[in-house]
Amino acid sequence: MATGPSQVTVPAGSRPLPAAPRGTLHQREVGLGWLLLAPVLIVMLVLVVWPFMTAVWIAFTNKSIGREAEWIGLANFAQVVSSPRFGRALTNSLIFTVVAIALKFVLGMAMAMALNQAFFGRNFLRAYLLIPWVLPGFVAYMIWRWFLDPLQGVANYALTDLGLISFPLEFLSSPATALPSVIAAHVWRSFPFFGVAFLAGLQNIPSEQYEAAAVDGANGWQKFLYITLPGLRHVILVVLMLSTIWTFNAFEPIYLLTGGGPADATMVYTVLAYEMGIVNMRLGEASAVPVLILPVLGMFIVAVSGLMSRDD
Amino acid sequence: MSLRMNRVATAAPTALIVLVLTLFVSLPLYSMVVTAIKTDREIYDDFTYLPKRPTLVQFERVIVGERFMINLRNSLIVATTSTVVAVLMSVLAAFAVVRLRFTGRIWIARIILFKYLLPTSLIYIPLFLVVNSLGLTNTLQSLIFTYLSFSIPFATWLMMGYFRGIPPELEEQAMIDGCSRLGAMVRVLLPVAAPGLVAASIFTFTGAWNEFLLALVFINRPDLQTVPVKLAGMIVGDQYVWGMIMAGAIVASIPVIALYFLAQRFVVAGLAAGAVKG
Repeated sequence: MATGPSQVTVPAGSRPLPAAPRGTLHQREVGLGWLLLAPVLIVMLVLVVWPFMTAVWIAFTNKSIGREAEWIGLANFAQVVSSPRFGRALTNSLIFTVVAIALKFVLGMAMAMALNQAFFGRNFLRAYLLIPWVLPGFVAYMIWRWFLDPLQGVANYALTDLGLISFPLEFLSSPATALPSVIAAHVWRSFPFFGVAFLAGLQNIPSEQYEAAAVDGANGWQKFLYITLPGLRHVILVVLMLSTIWTFNAFEPIYLLTGGGPADATMVYTVLAYEMGIVNMRLGEASAVPVLILPVLGMFIVAVSGLMSRDD
Repeated sequence: MSLRMNRVATAAPTALIVLVLTLFVSLPLYSMVVTAIKTDREIYDDFTYLPKRPTLVQFERVIVGERFMINLRNSLIVATTSTVVAVLMSVLAAFAVVRLRFTGRIWIARIILFKYLLPTSLIYIPLFLVVNSLGLTNTLQSLIFTYLSFSIPFATWLMMGYFRGIPPELEEQAMIDGCSRLGAMVRVLLPVAAPGLVAASIFTFTGAWNEFLLALVFINRPDLQTVPVKLAGMIVGDQYVWGMIMAGAIVASIPVIALYFLAQRFVVAGLAAGAVKG
C-alpha cells in the first residue's frame, strides 16, 4: 500500500464491481466497501426510491386514505396543471424565492463586510447576529407571527408610538402585506447563513490584493467590485444555489405564518400539496405535485452538486 | 494616502450596518423574551415595553398546564435515536467512499450529495404513502426512521469532507503495524476525526429536534407530538396563548442554542468542510 487509496480516481461510467485487477487485496476492499455502504444504501432505497416509485404510481390513480387506488391515467396531472390555485402557488413560490434571496444576499453581504472590519464587540456580534439562524425554524416563525400580531404585536405598538402609523396594520391577514411579511420573516431567519458563508469567503481573500488596489488608487466601491466579488465568486454561487433550493421548497414560514392565506395570497406549492394530500386526503393529486416538480428541481440539484463536489 | 481617513471612511458604513442589523435581529427576539416573562394581563390588556413585574408563570403554564415535558421527551427520544443511528451508518459509508477503492464510489458520493440537497418538502407526500402502508402513522418510530432520509446524507457528506482532509498515511502506518482496515479506522482515523463526529452529531440532532413537516404529517396524537408540532398546535384562535407559546419557544430553543455555542468551533469547522467549501 504505497499510495493512498483516496488518490485513485475511477473513470466515470465504468461498470460496478469489475473483475479484480489487483488480486485479492483489491477484491477484499471492494467487498468491504459495499458491505460498509450497505446500511446507507438500503435506507436510501426504502426512504427515497421506494417512496418516489409509490408516488409516481399513486399519481396515476385516484387513491385517497382508506380507499383502494384505481388507475385514472393523467387526470391528476391535468387537474393540477390546469388548476388556477396551482398556478398561483407556483407564482408565489417564485416571487417568494427571488425576493427573499435578493434581500438575503444584500443583508448577508452587508453583515460579512461589516464583521470583517476590526471593532470593539465584533466577536460578540458575530455570535449574536447568528441567533435567528441557530434558532429552530418553527420558533423563528412563531416569534414573527406574534411580533406582527395586529392587536398586541410589538411591531404595531412600536410603529404607532413612533407615529409612523395611526392604526394597527394587519400584516399577515391583509392581501397586500401578507407576502412581504412572510418574506421579511424568512429573510430574518436565514440572512445570517449568507453572512457567515460570505465572511468565511472574505477571510480567504489575500489582503495584499486590497493593498495593491489601494496603491493604485482604487476606491471602496471599486475594491468591492473588482476584488471582493470575484474573490467570493464560488461561495456566492454555491450559497445562492443552495438557498434557491431551500427557499423554493420552504414550508414552515408560510404554513406557520399564514397557512397560505388570506385567499391564497401567500399560497406556495408546498403548502398547497399539504392541503390537497394531508388535509383533503386526495393523495393522487397531491402525489402529482412532487412528481411534476422533481424533474426540474432535480436538474438544478445536479448542477449544484456538480459545483459542490468539485474537489472529488 | 492617509490611513486615518480610510478608517473613518469604513467606520461610518460599518457602524450603520451593525446598527441596522442588530436592530432587525433584536426586535423579534425582544418580543419573544419579553412576552414570555409577562402575565397575560400585561400581554393583552395593559401593554408596556418592559414587564412591570417579570414572572415565570408562562413557563409554568406551558410545562405543567400543557404537559410540555411529554413533548420534550418525545423530541429527545426521536432526535437522539435518529442521530445515533445516522452517525453510525454515515461514518461507515463515508469511510468506504473516501478510503476504499472500488468502482462506483464516485457515483455513490454524488447520489448522497443529491439526496442531501433534495428538500424534505418534496418527498414528504411519497414518504407519507410509505409510512401509511407500513402502518407506522402515529408512532415515534415513523419519525426516527424517516429522519434518516435527511440526516444520513448530510452526516455522510460531512464526514466525507472530514475524512478527505486527513492524510491516509496514518492509517497505512497502523495497518503495517498489524491493524486491519477497520481497526485502523476505529483506532486512528476516528480519534483524529472526532471534531467532525461532534459536528455531524450536533447538526443531525439539531435537524431532528427542529423538524416540523414530517412530524406534522405523521403524528396527530397529542401525547406523541414532538415539540414543534405541539407548540404550533397551541396557536388557536383568539385564546390567550401567546405568553405560554413564547415561553415554550424559549424552552425549545435552549438545547439547540446551547449545543451550537458550546461546540461552535466544531460547527464552524464542519461548515468549512461543508456548505462553504471552495
